Amino acid sequence: MNEEIYTVALKNALAEIKNVCPDISKAYILMDNGTIIAGDEQAVDPSVERAVNSLQSLAEKATSVGGLNDLLIDGDKGRVYISQVNGMYSVMALSKRADLSFLRTLTGIVLPTILKVLNGIGTETALPTPLKSTPIVPYTPFRPAPSEPRVEEEAVGEVEETIREPEQAAEIEAPEPIEARRAETEEETEVKSREPITDLPSQQLIVDRFGGFMVRPDTVQLDFEILERWSSLLEVKGINEVDIETFSGKTTRCKVKVISDQKFEGRGLIRIPEKTCETLELKRGELVRVKPVVPQE
Amino acid sequence: MPIKKKVPQVETAEQVEWAPKVEVKEQVADLRTVLDRIKAREGVIGYILRASTSAAVDIKDPSKIIDYAVLSASALESAESLSGAFELGKLCSIVVEGKELKILLLTIGEHRISVFMEKNVDHNSIYREIT
Repeated sequence: MNEEIYTVALKNALAEIKNVCPDISKAYILMDNGTIIAGDEQAVDPSVERAVNSLQSLAEKATSVGGLNDLLIDGDKGRVYISQVNGMYSVMALSKRADLSFLRTLTGIVLPTILKVLNGIGTETALPTPLKSTPIVPYTPFRPAPSEPRVEEEAVGEVEETIREPEQAAEIEAPEPIEARRAETEEETEVKSREPITDLPSQQLIVDRFGGFMVRPDTVQLDFEILERWSSLLEVKGINEVDIETFSGKTTRCKVKVISDQKFEGRGLIRIPEKTCETLELKRGELVRVKPVVPQE
Repeated sequence: MPIKKKVPQVETAEQVEWAPKVEVKEQVADLRTVLDRIKAREGVIGYILRASTSAAVDIKDPSKIIDYAVLSASALESAESLSGAFELGKLCSIVVEGKELKILLLTIGEHRISVFMEKNVDHNSIYREIT
């Protein structure tokens, strides 16, 4: 898992522990690689750094008592409580009146839980963060033709200009039978084993699952910017549907809306309803390839 | 077989007239008596009593003496370093807890005491008894 995410999560955890237990004056986590994470954005004092690092040598020598689990230093002006959590050490400076048993319970529950969740996320997301758009491949229609076929496409941003063959343009202009369209609409949201989607602008996005009573299973959510880019690229008013292809080869077509929750905007996510995720056997954090469907008019 | 070294007498630096005179020899002997009594408790494995030039060690498993001595010295050093960094003032006690055992370390005068015990032993009562 990305170390930065780990650090942020642990910092927040320390800050929350300090909020709950105001007797903690300073709180740090000594990670297994020697990094010191401080709560509350406080700077790590060099003397603290040296002292905390001396723990590592103590931990090495503590094998004779089965490894270092806890260390409590009681001074006449305060205390330091150090606890081992999943190979890391939480270091907390406390006032004399701090309730140690409460703190033990708190750190013994909160930190291992957070680490477990982080590790869980880390193992689920085999591919961490690269969210660069995949290069857009030349446009050749593989699905129903758009109502306004284009002979040429202008380059937009990084998009390469593509010129279609006259024969292909002719294909595009050919009207599609109504029966075929009907069959298509019935197929929506069904997992289909059709040919891989290769010809439309596409993007790899991270799956985020969401659910609820009012959630339509056939509607996914995408960033406004992505939809805007696609619609300008394809010269259409808006993108109403997308094709989703998993890395196991499963594909489905869903309606698409802009991400409603600001928290998830601009993160390269595709929010897919849980039911659809189950159908596609998708887990949160997996990557999928998403392509716009050219709207029919 | 426990190894016992004779702890030398230490003179007090200064004694005021109004305070009762402290006999250092008696103090050390008392400390040894207290530690021996503590060692007889169930779950207590042994102790190390160190002064500047001597030490008394009484550990049930003699093969562990060096490991325990190194560990208690390292724990004291680390605790002093942490105490300085976090401004804890004078050290009262240190408890090192491992997966199998725990150690109570404290300083009385120039004597450094480490008591080794099983995890279920109440180290607070031992601390009270020593101090």
